[in-house]
Amino acid sequence: MTAIKITDLRKDYKDKAAVDGISLEIEEGELFSLLGVNGAGKTTTVKMLSTLTRPTGGDAFILGRSIITEPNKVKELVDLSMQETAVARNLTVEENVEFYARLNGLNKTETGEVMERVYRAFDLGAVKNKRAQKLSGGWQRKLSIALALISRPKVLFLDEPTLGLDVIARRELWKTISALKGGMTIILTTHYMEEAEALSDRIGVMKDGRLMFVGTKEELFAATGKQNVEDAFIEISAGGDLNA
Amino acid sequence: MRNSLSRIKTLTGRNIKEILRDPLSLILMILLPLFMEILFYFIFHNLTSQFEMKYLAPGIVVFSQAFLALFTGQLISLDRASAFLTRLFVSKARPHEFILGYAAALVPVALVQSVLFFLIGGIIDPSIFGAGMIRGVLLSIVTSLFFIAVGILLGSVCGEKAIGGAASIIVIGQSILSGMWFPIDKLSEGFIFAMRCFPFKNATDLIQNVLNGVSDPADQFWTPLLIVLAYTAAVFIAAILCFKAKMKEK
Repeated sequence: MTAIKITDLRKDYKDKAAVDGISLEIEEGELFSLLGVNGAGKTTTVKMLSTLTRPTGGDAFILGRSIITEPNKVKELVDLSMQETAVARNLTVEENVEFYARLNGLNKTETGEVMERVYRAFDLGAVKNKRAQKLSGGWQRKLSIALALISRPKVLFLDEPTLGLDVIARRELWKTISALKGGMTIILTTHYMEEAEALSDRIGVMKDGRLMFVGTKEELFAATGKQNVEDAFIEISAGGDLNA
Repeated sequence: MRNSLSRIKTLTGRNIKEILRDPLSLILMILLPLFMEILFYFIFHNLTSQFEMKYLAPGIVVFSQAFLALFTGQLISLDRASAFLTRLFVSKARPHEFILGYAAALVPVALVQSVLFFLIGGIIDPSIFGAGMIRGVLLSIVTSLFFIAVGILLGSVCGEKAIGGAASIIVIGQSILSGMWFPIDKLSEGFIFAMRCFPFKNATDLIQNVLNGVSDPADQFWTPLLIVLAYTAAVFIAAILCFKAKMKEK
């Protein structure tokens, strides 16, 4: 079943098109990576799909709900973790989880259950009484992603989730994201090619607001004649449109 | 409606914790005004009537509220900078719930400020105890809304680096334009008129007047109250519009 259907979606600013009419379908349970250099339109696409930014053209449907005509319904289906860490600084890990659970309408019992689930999945139990601002960057990012799961989203947007993390923290986070695969649809934007290679079911490459390629790793290698995602990405970003 | 109230309560609780766990907020909102109230009374109250407790305590109450603008603004601008607000914009919470969550977090702080500075003032000079003090405490909640609205507006438009400077203009404005630190009868009529056009002096006058007894309700109560309320409404509307615009920008 289709989780996300994007039809000719665009976002125009005064002097340029940040997203220039992209169309795409993503299946339920899929982990789809969106690659592109800075300014390619990845984050703008994520912001439109998560209802943070209104498109100037086209539409997208999250499990059949339009991001333009039913943004509040879409909000009930999605959550996101931005590239910047988004936690309440002076609240403890436990208070952050509780705060976000309550904000999403969970009652006391459900909040307790969600806390247990999050602590287990993200190994946050050991730091639950620490204030968020006292945590290392890796732990803060883990918490930030954990918060995005509290609302039990059907579609999760991860915008450059490992940006700025050291290699160990990044690999730890990969494990966590891998464990989420299949349980929900995940859209991941990243600058790290090995991340996309390790985690994705399919990859999309954006350039200048346009979707230049969509397919599996193998299809990407076949289309570019390269043997790894990084070389293939450079080929597309520096070259022409390979989208069939 | 019930869900909305629950979300406002959740946002309020978080905002209170964020503000009160910042030691600087306690220093500037509570300790500094308290220190000034005690120090200025004992140094100056025999020299000028300005510093008699019946004028000083209400003045300090309103002065301390200027810091509410600073810490409200700082909280919102930091939430914006850290993408915390962006995350919340994807939640079920609506713009008015965010604004009420920020505002409601600061009202209890304003109440604590008011009660504390009046009580300390009353301990130093028991003549200010009475029904006027209760009226002063209640009306100080009204005046605090102006400063909270200013904080929401500044937090919506200023970045985290600019917010300190922008909010300090409000603190300085309150100090100079309230007329609480110096006798204004030597000032030019034009300057006094200008002071009366801004909410700072009106807020201070209002609390001083209700504490000390109102003999001319139109001049001493309704005029300053309506001016403060008009500014509060205007700034709140501007704050809501700016906050919504920032949400759209996201």
